[in-house]
Amino acid sequence: MSTRNEAELPFFFGPDQGLFGLFHASAKPARKAVLLCPPLGQDQIRCHRLYRQLAQALAAEGVAVLRFDYYGTGDSAGDSVELDWQRCVADTVVAANELRARAGVDRVLAFGARLGGSVALVAAAQARFAGIVAWDPVLDGRAYVMHLDAMQSALCRDGQRFMVPRDAADAAAQWLGFAISDRFRQQIMALHVERPTVPTLLLDSLSSDAPQPWGSFVADAAAVRCMQPPTPWHDPRRLEVAILSHPLIQAVTQHVQEAA
Amino acid sequence: MQEQAFRFGRARHLVGIAGLPPPVAPEAVGVIVLNAGLVHRIGPFRLHVEMTRRLNACGYPTLRFDLSTIGDSAASGESQTRKQQICADVGDAMKLLGEQAACKRFVLIGLCSGSQCAHMVACSDPSVAGAVFLDGYAYRTLGYHLRYYLPRLLDMKRWLRMLSRRRKAQAGGSEPAFTVAPLPQAVVRADLAGMLDRGLKLCLIYSGGISRYFNHARQFRECFGGIVSRPGVSTRFLKEADHTYILTGDRNRLLDSVERWLFDNFPVTTGGAP
Repeated sequence: MSTRNEAELPFFFGPDQGLFGLFHASAKPARKAVLLCPPLGQDQIRCHRLYRQLAQALAAEGVAVLRFDYYGTGDSAGDSVELDWQRCVADTVVAANELRARAGVDRVLAFGARLGGSVALVAAAQARFAGIVAWDPVLDGRAYVMHLDAMQSALCRDGQRFMVPRDAADAAAQWLGFAISDRFRQQIMALHVERPTVPTLLLDSLSSDAPQPWGSFVADAAAVRCMQPPTPWHDPRRLEVAILSHPLIQAVTQHVQEAA
Repeated sequence: MQEQAFRFGRARHLVGIAGLPPPVAPEAVGVIVLNAGLVHRIGPFRLHVEMTRRLNACGYPTLRFDLSTIGDSAASGESQTRKQQICADVGDAMKLLGEQAACKRFVLIGLCSGSQCAHMVACSDPSVAGAVFLDGYAYRTLGYHLRYYLPRLLDMKRWLRMLSRRRKAQAGGSEPAFTVAPLPQAVVRADLAGMLDRGLKLCLIYSGGISRYFNHARQFRECFGGIVSRPGVSTRFLKEADHTYILTGDRNRLLDSVERWLFDNFPVTTGGAP
């Protein structure tokens, strides 16, 4: 038990040792590695278990893995309100290089869910990713902001959560439990992810009744894989319920194994 | 102040983050924050990160960590009951923080199931000097029922809303629910009395988010009797807040309460050490 536990090392790294990471050494000498880019906000907490399971599945297949938290998220330094999109991208580059150094390999792929997928796609060139698996990435920041605003507004009137309805002012400058700065809000509003320049697999588990935004994003339809059932990213009743998906873990593990 | 990440425990199966403010004195009280449900050590909406860092700034050494099989911690591989596991895990956490911060006495903080874990350990471990129970054990009382039903009986609009909500709840009622059966009220009352007899300081902070079984500050006394009047006990009902403190203002009010209680009961002495 201890030996297996030792293969998962928690540590701090990066500028001022302010980024938290958890390195999963591979069960056999690694030839490639995968950086798991977390989503942001409540999605990060909801996906924590799944990311751990994915990391362990990849490590068992001989792939070294690094999970990490961006500045202002998780166990990393910084307050939640200090979350900054450019810093997330920069932290991803730092984390990719940290993974290369620890795993002793140069070939690093990236996986990310929701905004984590968006970060991986934006950071692809700087982080020298050999490939990306993006799970329901956010490509249109404006629509995403409107959606979060609507959920935040509805939160105040949630009779299941609060004994008495709350004023809008109590919920201002926050998204689903996390304080946000006006700068970060504007950064997400302006987010527009360009067509990927590295081999990318897009895993689509968004609800089938929602318009899919992938059309102009991926030239090759084979690079999109639909997954069932839909992931309840936007269901307010499940805001604090973990997101788990064994099909997702199988799909990512298989893709990474097959990646040249 | 730099936090440190640790893998620790009798099977090196636990993962935690320690905040170690300088300087530390041998009489320092260490603060250990336990998992809230299945949320990993950062807590709901990062509550535990904000809490430990605030307490570090006040001079308290802290450790937020994942119990066996929760978050990033693995199973210990031992054949133990969940209660034995939790007591052993918290024992490992106290040992680690004791080694890192030279403290011998500890305050446990837990929300929801974390509160139950804190209660379990505080019942028996002599190293525990205090505990903060957030939405801990509570029981529907006569007062609760009167406060709940009387306004509804007299309000037709409430009747209609309640029926509508019940229909919705029934429509979405297929979700599996994983809950821990609460200890009997008499047992909890005796446990709390035992803790106070041993000199522990207790802080009970309950939120409006548990209004299904707790709806007024008076209910502390209705549940636990004269125990809540004893000098070692502090109670607070944050009616406006939800169970996991999703709004930052509510979270800050909670953190203010915890910080003030620690200052009052385990004051920071000269040199920054409590």
